[in-house]
Amino acid sequence: MENILSLLIFIPIFSAIILFLLPLNVKFIRYASFIVTLFTTTLSLWMFNHFEATSHLQFVQEYNWIKEYGISYHVGIDGISLIIVMMTNLIMPLLYLSFWHLNRKGYWLNLLIVHGGLTGAALSLDLILFYLFWETMLLPIFFLIGIFGRENKNFMSMKFTLYTIFGSLLMLLAILYLGHTHHLQMGVWSFAITDLRLLHFDMQSSLLLFAAFIFAFSIKIPLFPFHTWLPQTYRAAPTGAIVIMSALMAKLGVYAIWRFVFTLFEELSLQSSHFFVILGLFGMIYFGIAAMKQRELKKLFAYSSASHLSLVVMGIFAFNYYAHLGAFYMIASHALSSAALFMMLGMIYKRTQSLHLHTLGGIAFHAPIFSVFFAFFALSIVGIPLTGGFVSELLLIMGAFKYNIILGFIAATTLLIAILFVFRVIQKVLYAKGSLKAFEELRSYELFSLIPLALLILAMGIFPSYFIQKLKPTAHQYTIKEIQDVQ
Amino acid sequence: MYSNDIITSLLIIGLGAVVMMLVAAFTKLSNLVLSYVTLLIITIAIYFQLGYLGELFAFDIQAELFNKMLRFDSFASLFNIIFLVGAFLMIASARAFMYATKFFLPETFSLILFAIFSMMLLSMANELLTAFIALESASVAVYILVGMNRHNVRASEALFKYLLLGSFSGAFFLLGIAFVYAQVGSTHLGAIQEYLIHHSEHELIIIGGVLMMVTILFKISAVPFGAWTLDVYDGASLPITAFMAGTFKIAIFSVALRILLVDYASMDAFFKPLLVMTAVITIVGGSLLTLAQQNIKRMLAASSIVHSGYLLIALSATTTTSVSAAPSIIFYLVAYFLSAVGAFGILSYISHWDTERTTYEDLKGFAHENPILAAMMSVFMLSFAGFPSTIGFLGKFYIFTSAIESGLIWLALLGVLAAFVSIYYYFKVIAMMYFYEQKQRYNLSFSFTPVIIAIVAIAVLWGGIGTGLVSFLPGANIIIQTAQASISSLFL
Repeated sequence: MENILSLLIFIPIFSAIILFLLPLNVKFIRYASFIVTLFTTTLSLWMFNHFEATSHLQFVQEYNWIKEYGISYHVGIDGISLIIVMMTNLIMPLLYLSFWHLNRKGYWLNLLIVHGGLTGAALSLDLILFYLFWETMLLPIFFLIGIFGRENKNFMSMKFTLYTIFGSLLMLLAILYLGHTHHLQMGVWSFAITDLRLLHFDMQSSLLLFAAFIFAFSIKIPLFPFHTWLPQTYRAAPTGAIVIMSALMAKLGVYAIWRFVFTLFEELSLQSSHFFVILGLFGMIYFGIAAMKQRELKKLFAYSSASHLSLVVMGIFAFNYYAHLGAFYMIASHALSSAALFMMLGMIYKRTQSLHLHTLGGIAFHAPIFSVFFAFFALSIVGIPLTGGFVSELLLIMGAFKYNIILGFIAATTLLIAILFVFRVIQKVLYAKGSLKAFEELRSYELFSLIPLALLILAMGIFPSYFIQKLKPTAHQYTIKEIQDVQ
Repeated sequence: MYSNDIITSLLIIGLGAVVMMLVAAFTKLSNLVLSYVTLLIITIAIYFQLGYLGELFAFDIQAELFNKMLRFDSFASLFNIIFLVGAFLMIASARAFMYATKFFLPETFSLILFAIFSMMLLSMANELLTAFIALESASVAVYILVGMNRHNVRASEALFKYLLLGSFSGAFFLLGIAFVYAQVGSTHLGAIQEYLIHHSEHELIIIGGVLMMVTILFKISAVPFGAWTLDVYDGASLPITAFMAGTFKIAIFSVALRILLVDYASMDAFFKPLLVMTAVITIVGGSLLTLAQQNIKRMLAASSIVHSGYLLIALSATTTTSVSAAPSIIFYLVAYFLSAVGAFGILSYISHWDTERTTYEDLKGFAHENPILAAMMSVFMLSFAGFPSTIGFLGKFYIFTSAIESGLIWLALLGVLAAFVSIYYYFKVIAMMYFYEQKQRYNLSFSFTPVIIAIVAIAVLWGGIGTGLVSFLPGANIIIQTAQASISSLFL
């Protein structure tokens, strides 16, 4: 099974193309795409089992693609891409299950393509290949928002696409420049990160290249000044697109910083780490406060998600073992929690056609099971004990303290911001006496889509060592440099 | 043995054009039959050309008879095949349109063959006067094709505009030749090259070069020479617009590349700033013009100016020592050509009899009734925009790398920004097709056309992602290899 990574990438994409071309009815497509995702999930579980706990890239595959320019099909997996791939494959089938009622053909096909695109982007070790997947996964989101979104969906899908492509195009220029420099310094073209990391740059050009990469990735995450697309897009987007954007795509941005920026510009990343740690911390507080101000649930959780991702960025830039481990763990636990939460928001919207705090209220009186799940997932975002979020926040705070006592102290205290708005949401949505006359209880397929997520979040909180052992070596990768940095 | 094949294929097209003209005059065969015959003629000509593809060679065709005026090399063979395939795809994908509209006279097919014949000569011309004659005769055929829709005022306006301006600009080329001749005493490209090696004064050659550049920039519709583009492309009927935007423009680039690489590459200190400036103006002006368009046909016409701008980036990179710039031009031309054939093919396929449906309004909700056609249209738009996994992306990739390679990073940055702007106007077409409610029913009848377009769409995708792993298909790298070989054949 040495080609398992290619299978994980291309099975969803090819099934989407085949299902599109064949004249099938929606029901068949729904079953077929669900089975496809279940199949890739099985494959990914097999891979998880066979993944050895080392920091080396595993299951590597490399083929020449365009030999003249040294572009190759080069994929491989290590601890951090393992998280992204596992999360993608675990969340996708559950996402399908959560809106089983939906009978729009394009929805399922676009999700399949974005599934393959995400996996591909997380596994690519060649910059051009990565760019290909990075852009390709944008297209289904463009369609999902534009076709299935609401309100000013046409405008928002265009704005989101233009915003993100602008970042990626500058990154493309940087990628081309890297390849050219490799041609100059080594005599041959190459776009493989293992080759490009050996290049030497003068300060100015390396700073520009670094900025181009960071810019592209921080739009996707989003980091502080580049978040302006976020609230409106989340408001306009349909549930499927939001789950993917917040639970998976945003994490892919963090992953890409780790994989490409850290590998290619290691020195510069270390030197600028202080700036990004503070930016991450500031972002966490800023987005947290922004979330408190929101009256619309989707926007509220959009900001909350951005707040946690800023924390993750702080973690990876703190460059020590605990912070890295915590960031990895939070990528996973937050992916699960936010996927579940946005799925539940979709369910609320389906029932009430509104996500405004004022129009909701009193769901707990009509639908107790729904409320239990909602409260659980909302609290797991904050990181209450027994959830994966708790472990990751603990590690991150330890990492922050190790980085700098004052920053650690600020991080530890401001983590509580999330509690403020989450409690308010729980109180308003579930318990406050509202105008809701009736609220349908969870249907069976909705229940089945949420239970695995809840169990997984609990498992990550109760048996963290089982999950962490696979990530340890990857998190250790930069600890040696960290000692030098301190000196 | 080599030259027999090429002469045969030239004769087939040339004589075919004459025969088709006579047939059109003396028989009453329908357009459908004539189009089949034309397709057959082109196919036979392609068959005779295919043997040369991918080989590295160069020789003068009947050196004694033609006095070394025609040189057949890998470069010319690649371009010949592109022209032939372009004409084939244009006729094949527009059959429904030609059948439905009244204004395509039977002579159309003869004119297309004449145009192709002249373009083939143009790509082989190793002498400036031959190049001029081929250029003008190809242009005359295209002028008439533009004005084919006699009862339409806009078509007549387009014809008149194009004819006047085109002839006027053609005169510059002739004047340029005169200047070159005054200095060198010959108009043979090889002789000019010889002269430049042995002599240091070349003022008149430069003046001649600038004058010839005016004609070429006019024909490839660079800003500000290309003011005619919008009205002419809009006035011509869809298949003809596709023919101009795709095939004819490639022919101009073939002669431009040959003259530039063989003779003027050594004077890049003078020409590089000119080309860079033109590229910048063309890209900026073209992008602004395209943003203002409210009609898809005009948008595609205006955006073809932007694509000329990208090509000018590579052309200005060619003048330095960069080895990748010239092949990247050829690759980009192929990429643009495929996308243009497909996009215009779909537009002409969905035309309702004489009425072209080319406004954004017309395409609203198109995907609901015709999902596969809409998907193919999206593929072509993505390729135009240079979205990865299409051939257009690799085209831009090669052009921008060649610009970076010759130190024109700012030009590459400008190209990237233009590509960003282009995302907006190309994605707008996709958004129209998918995001709006259906406004009208299209009632498209089944015909051969969508099959051709589908093949082009697959080619566009395969050209962007094709690997060498599939043994029976050439990968994406074959095109660039062929382009590299054809460029090096110029210097054999």
